Amino acid sequence: MNGKSMHWVNRLAALGLVVGLVAGLAAAGNAQSVGGQAYSTYVNTPLGYSGQSPLAVLPAVSGTDGATADAEGSALNVAGALSSDFLNSITSGEIGTAETGAQSTASAASVNILNGLITADEVVANVMSSASEGGAFSSADGSTFTNLAIAGVGSLSGDSPIAPNMNISLPGVGYVVLNEQIPSGDGVSSSGLTVNMIHVYLQNLVGGILNPLTGQIIGGTLQTTGEIIVGSATSTVAS
Amino acid sequence: MMREHRSLIVWPSLIAAGLLAVACSDQPNVSMAPKRPSFWVTPPPAQCPTGKWTGGGRIDPPSNHDATDEDAFHEAQFFAVVLPTMTGKFTFGFNVFLGQEVVNGQPTGNCIVTKGEIEVNGHDFVTEGQTGTRKIAWHVSIHDGADAYDGRPVYADVFADASLKGFCLVVGIPDRPPPDGYMTARENGKGSTEPFELAQFEVCDNDRGKPQKGKPGPDAMRWRSEHHGDTHLIYLTGGNVVEHGS
Repeated sequence: MNGKSMHWVNRLAALGLVVGLVAGLAAAGNAQSVGGQAYSTYVNTPLGYSGQSPLAVLPAVSGTDGATADAEGSALNVAGALSSDFLNSITSGEIGTAETGAQSTASAASVNILNGLITADEVVANVMSSASEGGAFSSADGSTFTNLAIAGVGSLSGDSPIAPNMNISLPGVGYVVLNEQIPSGDGVSSSGLTVNMIHVYLQNLVGGILNPLTGQIIGGTLQTTGEIIVGSATSTVAS
Repeated sequence: MMREHRSLIVWPSLIAAGLLAVACSDQPNVSMAPKRPSFWVTPPPAQCPTGKWTGGGRIDPPSNHDATDEDAFHEAQFFAVVLPTMTGKFTFGFNVFLGQEVVNGQPTGNCIVTKGEIEVNGHDFVTEGQTGTRKIAWHVSIHDGADAYDGRPVYADVFADASLKGFCLVVGIPDRPPPDGYMTARENGKGSTEPFELAQFEVCDNDRGKPQKGKPGPDAMRWRSEHHGDTHLIYLTGGNVVEHGS
């Protein structure tokens, strides 16, 4: 073989190596992945603070493995903001040859928010995400409220689901979103869903002018000053 | 000439390495455009002792009873001890890896759980014949083939379910040594009546390789507690059970 031929062989070989390694690394970057977390309560208000608790976070999963994490709490009390008990969070996920999935559940019992403004005997957040040959999707089936009551608004008897993202005004306080659902992914090769069963947004009016004739404030903007979340579960898959 | 000879050896090796990197990647398609995953393969039949099972969700017994898969043969084999029925709302999550029991270096043929975590929460459930509701969080933890709460092996079995839609897994089967079988679960919560008790767990993956769609089911779960009862096999209100490989 002469020197010129060797030159082309070397170039072809180098090209093959580069293409191979790049493609391999790119494919590795697109590997299947799952994620999940769940927590029963979160309070961040001027009345007090309590981080996401009890928090369960899905450990890293690779290969055709699976994992689960759970956390339990007996009771939580942030005076004036939130009290609750029997707090449980579970998340699990798996990567398989035919199906990859994650599922999370969080629950809280004897829920009392803002001194009885919102109460519930129990709240369960339940989500799952799955990816397979048929595509990727997520669901919040199994997410319910038990005997939910909102002062001045109404109540539900028994164990009931509520339509996603129901926004209810809480005069003088802010608003609450029930069954708050935050989707993610393209629905084809990835999907994810976070559900916050009760998400209270505390708001204050900032600025504005007091009308001395009516006693009402004109103008100004509402500013979120705190939030309370009860029952939060997240699951994600990507393939 | 010598340099040329080395090149002839080195470059084909590098080409092979490059092609190997492609071949060994999990996903042959590297297009950035969203499209259907193309690498899914039909899983081999579920089996013991090599299965891996993971899942979680919720059941609402007695609603959505998977009566088809709670068949007489397996009732007699695994659940002969009749317990009072538990009704209410139960959430759960689990991860169980199966393996073969080895004693004195020899496989016994028994299927055991090599590692696993099972969490089941009973929310204001009622036990048949008892008054009032209870809240209990049960937990089972298995490491290196032994139950973390009693040090014993936990025996399991996998079988094709009666609905012919998939496979079921029973963890804590009764008829393997040590004589009492089952597994030990820790109890927490106001409704707990003892710190530990014997328990059994069953799940069915009735949609193997397909996403869990539909409400309820088609996957199912069952929890049996020595002192609090039996949920029976119930289709999931939400969640998923996946048998995901060997």
